[in-house]
Amino acid sequence: MNKAHFLKTEKTCFAAARIFLGAVFLYASYDKILHPQAFAEAVYNYQILPDAAVNLVALFLPWIELAAGLCLIAGAWLPGATMICALLMTAFTAALVFNEIRGLDVHCGCFSTQATHDPASLLTVLRDLFFLAVSVYLLVRAVFAPLKITGNMPGRSA
Amino acid sequence: MNSGKARMIKATGQAAAIIAIACMLAACVNLLREDGISFVGDWSTDSRFIDDSGQSLVISLTEASRLYAQKKAVFVDARPKSQYERGRIKGAVSLPWHEVNKRFMEVADQLEGGKTIICYCDGESCELSHDLALFLSDMGFENTRVLVNGWTKWRQAGLPTQTGGQGNE
Repeated sequence: MNKAHFLKTEKTCFAAARIFLGAVFLYASYDKILHPQAFAEAVYNYQILPDAAVNLVALFLPWIELAAGLCLIAGAWLPGATMICALLMTAFTAALVFNEIRGLDVHCGCFSTQATHDPASLLTVLRDLFFLAVSVYLLVRAVFAPLKITGNMPGRSA
Repeated sequence: MNSGKARMIKATGQAAAIIAIACMLAACVNLLREDGISFVGDWSTDSRFIDDSGQSLVISLTEASRLYAQKKAVFVDARPKSQYERGRIKGAVSLPWHEVNKRFMEVADQLEGGKTIICYCDGESCELSHDLALFLSDMGFENTRVLVNGWTKWRQAGLPTQTGGQGNE
């Protein structure tokens, strides 16, 4: 495979990855925005944040997910959006791992605010690690070693 | 200027802008919507453990132990069976929240008789006993309460406990 061909393929991969992760973030924000009180309870149950910060995080976080997800899908402000996604995925994974280690039985609150859905487990951690890997790849290719072959925004003209 | 550093600054600026816009939208929508929540929530035990009408379900250890001494209460352990067997409030009935639909009929007759039903689990943040208490109120047991962090508090106060399978005295 020659270099130009490889770059073209990677550009397609980059675009696919950002649209995929954007969709994940949009999907994750939806139920939380609809049910702020239920999401606040999920945040509270993680037992990580001080009580006063619980509602603020429950209110703002889903909208940040939504905005970052929209940017990823639209290909706008990619450096900023990928940075937010990588930071959020790092925080989410760390919070899950932290509670797995201390044996706290938390409901994940990742995609659904219903306590009967997705209890946090090792599988949840692995899923988050996968999303984290995708977001780190996007961050690297959008900020630290940008994909540029035609001068376009990375991945914009997929 | 170092282009790596410049890209980093640009990314940080964009991230801050995205977050700022998202937070402003979130705040506006929260203020406008009917089911908005307060920006700083009250997560104290009294306000967390409430029933559907907003009444606190919390019972104090003093009150719970008084009812225990007068034999006017049934204690219900909401934790998994294994934890129940490792140690529980003496005479407590096991009704693990995770198996409530399966086990409820087995224990229902032990809950009848008009005694105060006191649900407990372990830890300040444990919600099992709260969920169980709400479930039992829905099932018609009106005098249902929650002893928050019950197992730890009970043990630390040196009140009677027991171990082993259900019914061992």
